[in-house]
Amino acid sequence: MGQGKPGWRVAAATLVLVAVAGFGGVARAGTDPQTPANTLIDGTTDTVTNIDPSGNYNYGTDTVDREIFQHLLGYKPGSTVPSPVLATGCKADATVTEWTCTLRQGVTFQNGDKFTSTDVAFSFERLIKIHDPSGIWSLLSNLKSVTTKGPYSVTFHLKQPQSTWEYILTTIAGYIVDHRVYPADRLLPDSSTQIGTGPYRLVKYAPGQDAVFKAWKGFWGTQPKVPNLIITYFSKSSTMKLALQRGEIDMAFRDFTPTEYASLAKTKDLRVLKGPGVAIRYLVFNVTRPPANSLAVRQAIAYLMPRETIANRIYHGNVTPLYSMVPAGMPGHIDAFTTVYGKTPSVAKAKAVLEKANVKTPVAITLWWTPTHYGEASAEEYTEIERALDASGLFQVTLKSAEWATYAKTLGAQYDAFQLGWFPDYPDAEDYLVPFYGTKSDFLSNGYSNPKMDAILGHEKAATSTGERMKYVREAETLAAEDVPIIPYWQGAMIAVARPDVHGIQGTLDPTFIMRFWLLSKS
Amino acid sequence: MPGAGISLKSYLLARVALVVPTVLILLTLVFVLMRVAPGNPVSAALGGHVPPAVIKQIARQLGYDRPLYVQYGVYLWHIVHGNFGITITDRRHVTRIIAVNGAATLELTVAAMLVALVVGIPGGLLTGRFRDRPIDAVGRLFGIVLYATPVFVLGLLAQIVFGSVLHWLPISGQASPLTEATLQAHTNILVIDAIIDRNWPALRDVLRHLVLPAATLGLVFAGVFLRLVRVNVIRTLKDDYIEAARARGVRERAVVYRHAFRNALVPVVTVIGLEIALLLSGAVLTETTFNWPGIGHELYIYLENRDYAAVQGIVIAFGLVVVFASLLIDFVNAFIDPRVRYQ
Amino acid sequence: MSVALGSGRQPRPRWLRGGTAIGRALRPIAEAHGFARAMLWSGAALTAFFVVLAIFAPWLSPYGFDQYRSGKELFPQLAPPSARHLLGTNVQSTDVLAQVIWGARTELMVVALALLFALSLGVPLGLFAGYFGGIFDRVLVLLMDAMFAIPSLLLALVIAFLLGSSIASGVLVASLAITIIYVPQYFRVLRNHVASVREEPYVEAARALGARPLTILIRYIFFNVIQTVPVLATLNAADAILTLTGLGFLGYGVQPTQGAEWGYDISRAVADVASGIWWTALFPGLAIVLLVTGLTLLGEGLNETINPVLRQRATAKVEFEATTLEPGGP
Repeated sequence: MGQGKPGWRVAAATLVLVAVAGFGGVARAGTDPQTPANTLIDGTTDTVTNIDPSGNYNYGTDTVDREIFQHLLGYKPGSTVPSPVLATGCKADATVTEWTCTLRQGVTFQNGDKFTSTDVAFSFERLIKIHDPSGIWSLLSNLKSVTTKGPYSVTFHLKQPQSTWEYILTTIAGYIVDHRVYPADRLLPDSSTQIGTGPYRLVKYAPGQDAVFKAWKGFWGTQPKVPNLIITYFSKSSTMKLALQRGEIDMAFRDFTPTEYASLAKTKDLRVLKGPGVAIRYLVFNVTRPPANSLAVRQAIAYLMPRETIANRIYHGNVTPLYSMVPAGMPGHIDAFTTVYGKTPSVAKAKAVLEKANVKTPVAITLWWTPTHYGEASAEEYTEIERALDASGLFQVTLKSAEWATYAKTLGAQYDAFQLGWFPDYPDAEDYLVPFYGTKSDFLSNGYSNPKMDAILGHEKAATSTGERMKYVREAETLAAEDVPIIPYWQGAMIAVARPDVHGIQGTLDPTFIMRFWLLSKS
Repeated sequence: MPGAGISLKSYLLARVALVVPTVLILLTLVFVLMRVAPGNPVSAALGGHVPPAVIKQIARQLGYDRPLYVQYGVYLWHIVHGNFGITITDRRHVTRIIAVNGAATLELTVAAMLVALVVGIPGGLLTGRFRDRPIDAVGRLFGIVLYATPVFVLGLLAQIVFGSVLHWLPISGQASPLTEATLQAHTNILVIDAIIDRNWPALRDVLRHLVLPAATLGLVFAGVFLRLVRVNVIRTLKDDYIEAARARGVRERAVVYRHAFRNALVPVVTVIGLEIALLLSGAVLTETTFNWPGIGHELYIYLENRDYAAVQGIVIAFGLVVVFASLLIDFVNAFIDPRVRYQ
Repeated sequence: MSVALGSGRQPRPRWLRGGTAIGRALRPIAEAHGFARAMLWSGAALTAFFVVLAIFAPWLSPYGFDQYRSGKELFPQLAPPSARHLLGTNVQSTDVLAQVIWGARTELMVVALALLFALSLGVPLGLFAGYFGGIFDRVLVLLMDAMFAIPSLLLALVIAFLLGSSIASGVLVASLAITIIYVPQYFRVLRNHVASVREEPYVEAARALGARPLTILIRYIFFNVIQTVPVLATLNAADAILTLTGLGFLGYGVQPTQGAEWGYDISRAVADVASGIWWTALFPGLAIVLLVTGLTLLGEGLNETINPVLRQRATAKVEFEATTLEPGGP
């Protein structure tokens, strides 16, 4: 009945063939795209807010800024003492309220403008003036004014004596910008070209996607070993892991889950590199409200804190148990909590201290944590703490979580006990004590106020020699363990995972927590 | 033939007029939803280094304490002028986000739609024609199971098989980091950008990245088209005029292919319009799974950061896209099928 | 001329044959054959399986959904399937089989709740808007259409996100989020159906006889239009499960401390899969696919059997006795 083949069958067959051929042609990988030798591609799950250094206060943006801009002082790899960058040296006067820095000569910005003291004064003044909602200006709270003397000398006038001012100059608030390019009273939009003195120029920025950097000829320092740098942003660490395994990125820094680290360690062809950790995790109590207003309750929890379990089971050894707010590796660290509470959890001692204070058990307490800001393992972390406390029979724990935006603005105002993390603005013990234990800082709103502690911290800030400062640091740590408004429980390692052709990472993994991309090379 | 019908022109005018109240309601809905939420937007921008009291102060500064009707007025005024606001966490213009990331979502959804049509329509035609035969059962089951598989499960499977096991295809991003960094962004639809630049290695890279996400999202919807076309084929095959054609002695094959199939395809256009909303929903999950830099992905991140301004702008953008796409589809439909107008 | 039924066919049971309402309603199902029948029964079986899991979870599941140890012994983390843990354990050291079984309960509970809310809101609104028309109808239609314009997962996401901070129960949050997506659907279907049925002659007649609007609505229209609801509800249930697991995957809705949720389990398992651990993702994923498939098959099967357009009546073979056709004769 029919003449010839029905058209549709041929058409369908052709379609299928074309599809298969197309898919096959496109899919045949052969080898994965190798990244060229002159380009270093780093993956990260960090996020960037806005690049203008006066308008951000987070690690991801700081990483980007660090390639483009520079500070007056910085850290040589492996050292935690500020050393010259844009300034050749800084000196305090006798009152330790006036710091004068001599600036490096012959430095130019990426657009050819000369670097002078005007830029320095301008950068600090604008940061305070802009008063950005990120709160970065709080780092400069002790700065009264900045004056210049000639093109290569700058003086910082402080409100209170501070021997650690040089450290402040190395923080995220200390970047120097070109006064001819950046507005004095508002942020430069990300779509405009960013101009700094740093080793890399930002040539392309796609928010949430990637930031592309290129080395530039007029840089006053040593040229970066790899002329092109790309930082790729991932929203999920699992995708970053697969990208790393496929060779689409050369290295990844921040942040994989503990399971992923364990798996990466077993992958041949990839190296997991660890350095000393200065990020800490701790549990804060509001000491003005029950049940944590009872010292005995806090001490009991300190006796029961399952540090080893958390470090080993949850984090697979990527964090180490922490026994003081000041992490190990930081000058001035002592294992204060071990001295006061012992190294391992003890139900007997917890029971004893509660009985002695006539506290009725089980004590009902609500622990708060936040699901994404500190990594997904926070869920397991707090489950582990709950289990340890409940299992002792002395506590009845309720776990609650709130997502970061609500969490961050509530903290001690409503939560009785809550999780927090911290990594330092500058690598000094002071940055682990003053924000948390000083009555005036109120960063946690946890109501802790001890005049004795304030006195110690005051002495520390005013001390003139490092030895003297460390003495007060240790005193503060011991008192902090005794009063226990906060229980620190782990410090994290700085971990980067890289393909074998990337070199130099181990050298940059140090307590300053800076990934110095300009020192890395590829073979 | 019915006498006075509604002319195409008056139908179109009436339809366009309907858009205004729809859009207004949409905007108001979103505004109310966003304002009803507890918590304020400012805390998202912080690194946990700032005391809560300061946060409150800053929120007041940014105007989140003005009376609601004032905020509403300002909001509408801005939108009418094309200002969808600025995100709080990273100070980007929402319109810019929509332009850049929206292009990525467009690339994904168009490719997925193609996959869905290419798989679903022939499948529907086949299963409808051979109803109740084995091929029908297989085809329908295929369609149902595919739709029942959440797009993130299918995506995960695809990633494992084609990424980790076979190493054939990349499983994240719109292009490899290198290509993304070096390709010029003209339209932000990377396939087109690569073609404009005649950058063939980049085109290949971009297409390879597109395969899995588009196939994943597309296959899920292929099932929908399959079922739809199938039902229509069945319905059409029962129609009187088909009987009439058979009675006239037209060959069965011609009956099926020339009459039934063609008419069965008409509703597909409508369904494409309906599916746009679903496709955008699916895009959020697909983009999150494949790290595709589309607008669904951005929404997810802004939600996490409680960036109300961003969420508001993006949801409005989605809604508007759907409203105008439906409008377009209705136009096309009214043009093709006169019956639509007589409602 | 007489007609004899073909061989092999038993006469139908009386209650199905006759005039009872249930008989009339169920007859299409009994008459279903072919693929529609296969779909209906396999869909029903799959759905029933999960319903049983959900109802009898405390007895069927070897462990609690958040149980991480038995007695003193802690469960291993991410252990492969074994005798003690049939489907393995996940990153929280809970048993995967327990997550799947208790997850069934969470899913079905949320969806049942959501459908209940959506029906009790959408059906009355649709009925009234469709019958009485006027400005009320216009406004509602506009409102519902505007809600349709927002992609459903997005709407649910935004609502879950907003409610999640004020309502403690994740189940309630998820239910409400899903309710709001589906109300427009029921409303629209009901309203359109009522609007067309309203013009039917028998309704006109009732009105002419002086019946009150409410009576007409309930007695005539409601039972007429309600037929479409079961199919819609079943298909919506399938879709709702996908939305719910989508929410869970993105981290909204039911929180892990409140109940097992398959989507959330998969989101935690994504990282595992990249490390070669497959059991934490496969089983919840399979559960979702099976349950949704079951519901869809059930819904499609119902649709084929009830929907007159698609329905294929059981045909009885009819044999004609040979007759001679004579003009004027019987």
